[in-house]
Amino acid sequence: MTITGEIRGSRRRPTPPRWKITSLEVLCVLLVLALVLQDWLVAALDAPVLRTASTVFVALCVQALPFLVLGVLISGAIAAFIPATVLRRALPKKTALAVPVAGVAGVALPGCECASVPVSRRLMQQGVAPAAALTFLLAAPAVNPIVLVSTAVAFPKEPMMVPARFVGSLLTAVVMGWLWTRFGKAEWIAERALRRLPDHDGTSRWAVFAETARHDLVDASGFLVLGGVFAAAFNVLVPQAWLETLGGQVVLAVVVLSLLAVVLALCSEADAFVAASMSALPLPARLVFLVVGPAVDVKLIALQAGAFGKSFAARFAPATFLVAVASALVAAEVFL
Amino acid sequence: MRRETQNILLVLLGGALLKLALTGTYLRYVKESLQPWLVLTGGVMVVLALVSIVRDIRLGQAQPSGVEHAGHEHGTSRSPWMLLLPVFAVFLISPPALGADTVNRSDRNAAQEAKASSGFAPLPSDEVIPLTISEFVTRTAWDDSGSLDDRTVKLTGFVVRKDADVFIARLTISCCAADASPVKAKMAGQDFSALPTDQWVEATGRVVPGSATKESAFVPTFTVSQVVPIAAPEDTYEG
Repeated sequence: MTITGEIRGSRRRPTPPRWKITSLEVLCVLLVLALVLQDWLVAALDAPVLRTASTVFVALCVQALPFLVLGVLISGAIAAFIPATVLRRALPKKTALAVPVAGVAGVALPGCECASVPVSRRLMQQGVAPAAALTFLLAAPAVNPIVLVSTAVAFPKEPMMVPARFVGSLLTAVVMGWLWTRFGKAEWIAERALRRLPDHDGTSRWAVFAETARHDLVDASGFLVLGGVFAAAFNVLVPQAWLETLGGQVVLAVVVLSLLAVVLALCSEADAFVAASMSALPLPARLVFLVVGPAVDVKLIALQAGAFGKSFAARFAPATFLVAVASALVAAEVFL
Repeated sequence: MRRETQNILLVLLGGALLKLALTGTYLRYVKESLQPWLVLTGGVMVVLALVSIVRDIRLGQAQPSGVEHAGHEHGTSRSPWMLLLPVFAVFLISPPALGADTVNRSDRNAAQEAKASSGFAPLPSDEVIPLTISEFVTRTAWDDSGSLDDRTVKLTGFVVRKDADVFIARLTISCCAADASPVKAKMAGQDFSALPTDQWVEATGRVVPGSATKESAFVPTFTVSQVVPIAAPEDTYEG
């Protein structure tokens, strides 16, 4: 051990362990191991199923990361440049009114669901009511213009699909917001998600911006990758061939497509094209697929568990699933 | 996890995205239009990590224990380790573009009835018409005027085998490889046993009129007069 090291070590604690293994050493060992075992790794992944799964996994990560980065940049900007008082003034004081306002505000964040998780967590930290922030979380990926346009392009023969999707998704978000206002408990959300940022006196705003964005990115991207692993596994494990046999059975089709939306974790800008290609299935079931997907899927559940804690995700995701299916069926009844 | 490790992981992940975007490998996973965003995203990741590293070094010099910005509350978080998976996948394994395995996972033929509503443009009067497989399948399935009957077309795709049948197929993606849908035509008229599965080919021939019906799941039969093995195109996906 070097002299400076000893001085530093003795300053921190009286008896420093001589070889402390930190994550840095572990990382180095892992990198070296991976390089050494590269040939073996490549050979082990040579089965067609594994090759397909690994391609889908990389595709999901590559496709989602730009949106996640957009989300953490917005989150950093809110933390650094928008004082909490401004946000609170922008929303109605009564939570019951703030919820629909937050839902409609989702129109302004054009992106996949990955972008909205860090943003809504930041909104909560800045003092926005959790119910309103959660409504924004659910609404933003589903009601923004890009998603609606891609839905219109995918369903040229069914123009009512667009309003049906808009209303179904907005209804899901607002109902979940109200349910949270009525039944939600703050202690379900992990304490770290609600903790106020320390007032940044002294540090420059740009430093706050960079540090918040970096921190959120590290935090969320690990969970995004985890969600990608699950989605890729389901992508190759779920036999899509028997989908076509569901044809006329509406109830079964709704059940299957809603579950499929959860496990496939498609991006909300692409799911309309997938739904359009399932032409053998009834239209209401395909609407359920489009409304459930952006609100709850394996990628989102992983991100939410990371941002708000496991006990939150375990309650929020199943509730959202049921509300989304119901909202989609209501919208289908009205529009289709 | 220590901040230093987090920053190194971010640099690696950002580097992986930059590598994909700048070498053109990204076309195996996502659409071409995402390239500038991938460059930006990779750049932002690397910059955020570097800013943090530089600040840590400066703060570290000012006060040896300079860790009050270290985000202690996340010292126990293990989730960033997951970032190693895409890093290894990109740098060490570099998974190939999807192929025959994906085509055989689904019985769907992504010829969309919907597309027919926008009408079919007249085909050029050339002797051999190059067509994408999507357009070929859509026309054979939904164009009642029979615009392809008695016309010679050239299709580019890879060889797929299912049971005893040989197909020429491609995948269409609308966002990323996770939403890939297959389009395919059954090849007939020759012995294709010399062609390995997943081999890219250019096939010239004619459609068997009325072969893309509900019974055949809208997979047309394509009578091939000539088939030439080719190298895989840079962008293997259609759509």
